Amino acid sequence: MLRFDRRLLQHFDWIILLWLALIATMCLMNLYSAVYPDKPPGTPVYIKQLYYFIMGMGLVLAIISVDYRIFMSWNYPMYGAICLLLLYALIMGKTLSGAQRWISLGFFNLQPSEPAKLMLVITLASYYSRKDTGKGFTLKELGIPIALTTVPFLLIMKQPDLGTALMLGFIFVSMTLFVKLKWQTLNILLGVCASFIPIAWKFILKPYQRQRIETFLNPEADPLNSGYHIMQSKIAVGSGLTFGKGYLAGTQGHLDFLPERHTDFAFSIWAEEFGFVGSVLFLSIYFFLILWGLNSAVSSRDKFGTLLCIGVVSLIFWQAFINLAMVMGMLPVVGMPLPLFSYGGSSLLTTMAGIGILISVRMRRYQVPS
Amino acid sequence: MPRIRRTVEKIHKIDEEELIILKKRVDIATALIIVFIAVLIARLWFLQIKKGEEYVKLSENNRIRIQQIQAPRGNILDRFGRVIITNRPYFNLVWTKEDAPNPDDVVKRLAQILHEDISNLLTSIREASGQPRYMPILLKEDIDWKTLVYIENHHFELPGVRVEAVPSRDYLYGNMASHLIGYLGQINKEELENRKDSKYQGGDLIGKMGIEKLYEKELRGEKGYRYLEVDVLGFEQQILRHQDPLPGNDLQLTIDSDLQLTAEKALEGVGGAVVAMDVNTGKLLALASSPPLQLNEFIGGISTKVWQEHLNDPLHPLIDKTIQGQYPPGSTYKIVTALAGLGEKIITPQTIFYCNGGLNIYNRRYGCWKPSGHGAISLQRALSESCDVYFYQVGQRLGVDRLAAYAESLGLGQKTGIDLENEKPGLIPTSVWKKKKKNESWQDGETLSIAIGQGFDLATPLQICRMTAALVNGGKLYKPQIIEAIKDPEGATIKKFQPDLLGTVYGSAQDRKLIIKGLIDAVNTKHGTAGSAKISSITVGGKTGTAQVVRMAKFRSIPQSLLPRKYKDHAWFTCFAPAEKPEIAITVLVEHSGHGGSVAAPIAKQVLEEYFKDKIIVETDQ
Repeated sequence: MLRFDRRLLQHFDWIILLWLALIATMCLMNLYSAVYPDKPPGTPVYIKQLYYFIMGMGLVLAIISVDYRIFMSWNYPMYGAICLLLLYALIMGKTLSGAQRWISLGFFNLQPSEPAKLMLVITLASYYSRKDTGKGFTLKELGIPIALTTVPFLLIMKQPDLGTALMLGFIFVSMTLFVKLKWQTLNILLGVCASFIPIAWKFILKPYQRQRIETFLNPEADPLNSGYHIMQSKIAVGSGLTFGKGYLAGTQGHLDFLPERHTDFAFSIWAEEFGFVGSVLFLSIYFFLILWGLNSAVSSRDKFGTLLCIGVVSLIFWQAFINLAMVMGMLPVVGMPLPLFSYGGSSLLTTMAGIGILISVRMRRYQVPS
Repeated sequence: MPRIRRTVEKIHKIDEEELIILKKRVDIATALIIVFIAVLIARLWFLQIKKGEEYVKLSENNRIRIQQIQAPRGNILDRFGRVIITNRPYFNLVWTKEDAPNPDDVVKRLAQILHEDISNLLTSIREASGQPRYMPILLKEDIDWKTLVYIENHHFELPGVRVEAVPSRDYLYGNMASHLIGYLGQINKEELENRKDSKYQGGDLIGKMGIEKLYEKELRGEKGYRYLEVDVLGFEQQILRHQDPLPGNDLQLTIDSDLQLTAEKALEGVGGAVVAMDVNTGKLLALASSPPLQLNEFIGGISTKVWQEHLNDPLHPLIDKTIQGQYPPGSTYKIVTALAGLGEKIITPQTIFYCNGGLNIYNRRYGCWKPSGHGAISLQRALSESCDVYFYQVGQRLGVDRLAAYAESLGLGQKTGIDLENEKPGLIPTSVWKKKKKNESWQDGETLSIAIGQGFDLATPLQICRMTAALVNGGKLYKPQIIEAIKDPEGATIKKFQPDLLGTVYGSAQDRKLIIKGLIDAVNTKHGTAGSAKISSITVGGKTGTAQVVRMAKFRSIPQSLLPRKYKDHAWFTCFAPAEKPEIAITVLVEHSGHGGSVAAPIAKQVLEEYFKDKIIVETDQ
């Protein structure tokens, strides 16, 4: 039963591991620069991030050691647990900059909204793979996945964490589109969404969230407050020119003009110090990982595996795209890390768990269920 | 692991047909992702390549603060190189409400430290109660070193109290030559706009008056700069580059500070002016206007209240009377009439007129200052005793225009061209002038008033002094000079100013000699009007003058001493010495004080004695 399948090792995805190591190196290097030359008390963030990478590797090993198909049956209990954690965070959680997102585990502050994203991927993959979707989903058939998405969405929205809540929406839309909808369903959904936007603006968004969006649309109107982050980030990126200011020689970051530079705005540091050439190189490496993940989707011999890969890829891709677009001043500031690159344990562990799933699916591609 | 197997059995296997569909969808997703990557790269290109330079500028603006280092302003020296004005910081004690809302304890403490009455400090605070809370309130200006050190050492006990260093001028000779030197003030908006290309910025001090203003360019030097790298809170990280300031150049004046001080002391308490000129070069040795400006009032800006007080002061301290005060020249103008009379051959030294105390002409009587009359009188005695009737006769024969021509050749009725602002030209009337100005024909009787320096005639003390110098230096009219040289901070001369000869006086040397003789007699003979200017060992020549302020006959019958000040005559005296080989010309004017001989000449005497202090042989009893 539990005999070791040699083929598992044969089909191990060394490339994704190599790429992970490459991105981790860039991340740590960039974090070192982000806090350079400050010497705050306690463990520096790049060391902490290194610990998280090591923990993440452990997580990857744990995930690939079990057949991913088992998640199909563990799916709903896990889903329920995450929702309870979200509820717990909402009621008892630690408040950070006005939002209740954290559960203190003593050694680690868990942000349950991060694993919630991955949980939604597994849940939706599981649901869609059980349903035959040859002809595309009808609106009625979408009821359950919509409900499955809405529960954590509302819980996270309530924290409030607009960025993560939106991510759940993006995951849902990406995966649902991938499994194919009926045209009619798509049209109705689009219509509902369009009519929902003004209602959301008026009743759901908090004033500061509305202000962020307004600031984004007209940043000069408020250059000292919300517009400040966008402006300083654009200055950091733009002033990098072709080859950058050199490693550890960025001025926007080291003189504190750049806010949140080890978390959401980590890429600004990179772009300032390595310029256009360095940034394009970074994007090439980074998006190769994403495209490779997408490639894993077609390597799978079962629909659950395919949908897991699609979900994980959309999870990483949308976060990356929104973060980069935000850093470059193309989108309003929403709290959204750059997966694998921004400092933060919850995000990193979640992303690495996702990558574990990608590896797991790929290495089991010939393990066709009998 | 039966559960796994069960699960795995449920797994939806993908067949070939489905695989093709999936691959198609993954391809679409791949294409979409590539499009998104392209968007990001395009954006990077836009920010870093297309607009990169703009962002570089913005990032430099973020991090670089340019700090100016003020250049030490040039010193001002007197003609012997003695420093009159230099620089020093003033340390002012200020208190900010925002930093310490409750002033009581602090003020109590400060009153002890400053040895000042507590109510004075509280008054300063109360007066500033309308100000914003962050604005420092000035408690005491210019505190001394001991107080400064004490306050700096105890600043924890004195919340809100700060010492502000204000760079400023140090007036080593007090208010000496204050009108001439002028003062500094913060650059105003208009001045800033006029100097757009220069390196001035708001808050800089700039010369506002006098040579501080006119020689601003020489004195100010060049500011230095520090390019500081600062963080987001403005804390200095490092100096990127710096440039030391270049100190301003020193200005050496032609003024002799001993003479200037003597003149100012002699003028103390009156409104008046003393001008002393080196007759052979036009260099001014003293240029004193009384009362002086209180230069310390201008440090940090003069208050409107004080300014208004000065404006209303009957002694007019704000007016530089040497170049801006225009007075009828009175009898000093008889020099002009005499020169014109001789030059135009209307009189000779032997010409005699008869003075019976007045002249009846044009249907009225023109009185002499001496009602009993001078009797038969010739030029020399007419000058020394200042007989009005003699000069009425000369003037009447000359006519206004010929008189004016000589006056102009002596530099009257026009600006002297001295390097100071707002000089007044005085007035020498001509018939054309009157026609143009008043649209009236010249009245013959007016010529008589003109001939003795009354009527329309107006002159500044500087003009009269230069006229005196031209009379005794061989007829040379120089531009009055106040700057001797510009020197670099090491003391090397950069530019030396040379005498500027503007013209020569009408009339022959012989004529001037005759007049000089009359002026020597005025000081040195028994009946001369200027005996009070006589000094031992040195022969002085001079002419008194009394400029009428009120011309109406009914007032003139009242003794001057009984008139209110503003109706009293101005006293003139202009002189030169030594008579044999003149070196110096001195002109004194005292406003509303009476006769030249009694008021102005004694002042000139003090200045002469100072000038000749090394040559005067003290008479001792033997």
